[in-house]
Amino acid sequence: MVVFSSLRPLLRFQTNIIKNAAISRPMSEHRVFNITPSRWQWNRFKDLLHFYLLLGIIPCTVVVTCANIFIGPATLSEIPEGYEPKYWEYYRHPVTRFIARYIFNSPQQDYEKYLAFIFMEDERRKLRKLTKEVKRKIAERNDYQAYFYRPVLAKYHRVSREAADYLETIRGD
Amino acid sequence: MPEAEPRNIVEKFFNTVGYILQAPTVWVREKIVEPNQKSYPWYHQKFRRVPTIDECYTDDVVCYYEADTQYRRDKQVDSEILSILRDRFEDCVMYEAPDHLERCTPLHKQYEEATTNWFTKYGDLGAYHNAKTCYMKQKHRLLWERRHGPVGTGMKSDLSE
Repeated sequence: MVVFSSLRPLLRFQTNIIKNAAISRPMSEHRVFNITPSRWQWNRFKDLLHFYLLLGIIPCTVVVTCANIFIGPATLSEIPEGYEPKYWEYYRHPVTRFIARYIFNSPQQDYEKYLAFIFMEDERRKLRKLTKEVKRKIAERNDYQAYFYRPVLAKYHRVSREAADYLETIRGD
Repeated sequence: MPEAEPRNIVEKFFNTVGYILQAPTVWVREKIVEPNQKSYPWYHQKFRRVPTIDECYTDDVVCYYEADTQYRRDKQVDSEILSILRDRFEDCVMYEAPDHLERCTPLHKQYEEATTNWFTKYGDLGAYHNAKTCYMKQKHRLLWERRHGPVGTGMKSDLSE
């Protein structure tokens, strides 16, 4: 099909011969707008057919046939002593093993990521619950926030500054 | 089961037709496919046991999730075991056709017992259930048994002497 459509230029030769002698004096151009039914759907059909056949069905068939003939499915066997199988070695067909190895994440990784995610979400949930309870109590008692400790006390800094000034007066620089 | 010897010309004819239709596929498989295939292993994944739902603290979401996934795996395993027992019983019935009532009774008893146990543990929980609802079902069953005796012996009324 790809071959035939490239031979279309050869069809152009036959239209030039069929012309009447009286009106064949080429004095001006006579460009005609040929009113034809739309060939859009037919062209689109050919495009889609080429696309799905040449880029879809044929490569997939070739890959799957080679995988089945030259590699073949695996044989179920006991796990040897002291050996930890990789996560892609739990699948049978070579294409599935390939996809599991190179495309997808390992199931253990996904599992541990999800565990970490729900742990953090649970921490946030507990914080939100606490803040909500505090707000409720403030509303109930017409109260306000008061922190029960001061992070830094300036008193000790003042004491040590005074001691340092006194030492400087004794020792000099 | 090995192929039985053809008893008459009709069976011989059908055997020959089957052989003719299968021969190209068998030839391709034995001469082209199998010599080129490599042999390499695949394994059956064994999961470590994690603490079950009754050993988790109530605010430990991670423990909940691990117990839940373990519960789902165990449920799949139990369902498969039940399928195998069911297949065994049905194969026995089909094979022993006229006198299956006597020959298949032990398998039938085994299958019925397994079904009852499966239903006691997993049945009637609904589609959207998890390990916690199953655990609560067990709790309710034990409470009911404490009040009314074993399941299947009827409820005692509220009037107690």
